[in-house]
Amino acid sequence: MGLAHYLTLAATLFCIGLFGVVTRRNTIGILLGIELMMNAVNINLVAFARFSGSVPGMVFTVFTICVTVAEAALGLAIVILLFRVRRTVSADHLDLLKG
Amino acid sequence: MNFNLAMPLAVELSLAALAVLVLVTGLIEGTSRSSSAVNARRGAGWLTFIGLVGILGLTFLADEGASLFGGSFVQDGLALFAKKLFVGSAALSVLGTLTLRQSAFSRRGAEYHFALLMALLGMLVLASARDLILLFVAFELMSIPLYLLTGFMKRDAVAPEAALKFFLVGTVSAAVIAYGMSFVYGATGTTSIDAIPQAVASGQPIAMLGMALLLAGLGFKIAAFPFHMWAPDAYEAASTPFVGWLSVAPKAAGFVAIIRLYIEGAGVASHVWMPVLATLAGMTIITGNLLAIPQTNIKRLLAYSGVAHIGYMLIGIAALSSDGVAMVLFYLVAYLFGNMGVFMIVEVVSRSAKSDDIDAYRGLAQRSPLLALAMLVFLLSLGGIPFVAGFWAKLYVFWAAIEQGMYGLVFLGAVLTVVALYYYLLVARQMYIEKPERADPVPVPGPLGAVIFVCVLGVVGMGIYPAPWVAAAMRVAASLFS
Repeated sequence: MGLAHYLTLAATLFCIGLFGVVTRRNTIGILLGIELMMNAVNINLVAFARFSGSVPGMVFTVFTICVTVAEAALGLAIVILLFRVRRTVSADHLDLLKG
Repeated sequence: MNFNLAMPLAVELSLAALAVLVLVTGLIEGTSRSSSAVNARRGAGWLTFIGLVGILGLTFLADEGASLFGGSFVQDGLALFAKKLFVGSAALSVLGTLTLRQSAFSRRGAEYHFALLMALLGMLVLASARDLILLFVAFELMSIPLYLLTGFMKRDAVAPEAALKFFLVGTVSAAVIAYGMSFVYGATGTTSIDAIPQAVASGQPIAMLGMALLLAGLGFKIAAFPFHMWAPDAYEAASTPFVGWLSVAPKAAGFVAIIRLYIEGAGVASHVWMPVLATLAGMTIITGNLLAIPQTNIKRLLAYSGVAHIGYMLIGIAALSSDGVAMVLFYLVAYLFGNMGVFMIVEVVSRSAKSDDIDAYRGLAQRSPLLALAMLVFLLSLGGIPFVAGFWAKLYVFWAAIEQGMYGLVFLGAVLTVVALYYYLLVARQMYIEKPERADPVPVPGPLGAVIFVCVLGVVGMGIYPAPWVAAAMRVAASLFS
């Protein structure tokens, strides 16, 4: 297993996540897509750190995990708020603001 | 370690202390609905404002040239210039927010100001960051409270929607930025920004891929084309004094990050980015200006015109020269005064008319001549008419681009300036030519009036005597190229 395998896995994961963000109509699904993208970043960082024998990449991973958790917490809070106000979490119904 | 007011982290530490203080005051005051408790909670806003003015003073005391944590945190000219801009604009915005009467601000004022101070802390750290990890964490510390603040008036039907749109775009861009950073790290083997110019100069594919992804992610943050769609929605739903800050400070932070990553210390190696940046600048100017024309809501109009201004600043970045960077910094200050002032007047008028439509400005010149005159000055500055700040900003940016032989881009920018004048003057026409529906003057609350006054002084002062501002910006930019 070389570095290229890990990078390919990460790239695939990133693209699946991005595809989910663009195509899913449910905002929870979009949030899951974003999580996949962030996990691709982590795989990339750890793989680079492992194959170059340097530490900063792993430190970076710890920070991205923390930041992702904070983002997910706020994201779900906003979705719950949206559901309370509008009784829907579908992205198709987010049309009060346009122009 | 001794604490002295000029040491590198003094500004950040004082801001963090202020944020905790504001939060604790809010907790002590509790959530009872008695009028004395409500008044006490307004105290959080005043506390924040006074604290921010003090911290703005600290940024003037700070020693330049310090470097901490193995060079990952630097207090150089660019960092200090940006910090003054961030803290100053935040102070103006908080002063404007003091007058808001929505129940959300009286009941949860401490939360609001705590989140705002945290976002500001993220910006301050970001301005000094010379390490990818620190840059990423600072970016997120800035962005996450901004999503929250956008949806702060959570009982409004539109606020959660705008917050969610802003959040989704922002987090996707954060993921793209982090993905780009992972490749840059892979190419250089270190998270220090110092290593980037060499990796770019040697043209390693992984480094180039990483830097391209980073540029796309930063494009989201500054709302450049094609990543600008979140801006109008967020601006329309959020409280107006906050939007005055949101439309300037995070964009300035994005530009500081771009300058650090792509220009500082890069020399000629940075010229590979010139075609990309120039295209981005051109497309952003075109979309921003053309989409602004059909708008009937003043906040959406200003949002799209803000996108166009980002495009003009990108021209200065695309010049990739010392002059170009200096003129972007000058443009940011001019844009701060013009835009902040305009949004404060929007707040004053929409409070009286209960509407953000451009029609609400009908006959403003007869109802409140001074207010209309201030609005006209800001609009002319944003439009780029001589002897107000925005004129010099545009002129200097064009001049920096011409030095680099970018005639096409300058021509495009100049033509679209005329388009921009058209929609700015549509608002002026409502104010000066149309007849008012009511004759009574528009009431201007004291703090809002003070902010508008400061912004008028800034815009006119910079327009009549731009030399000291230009000199300061030139000095900062020159230090990046030595």
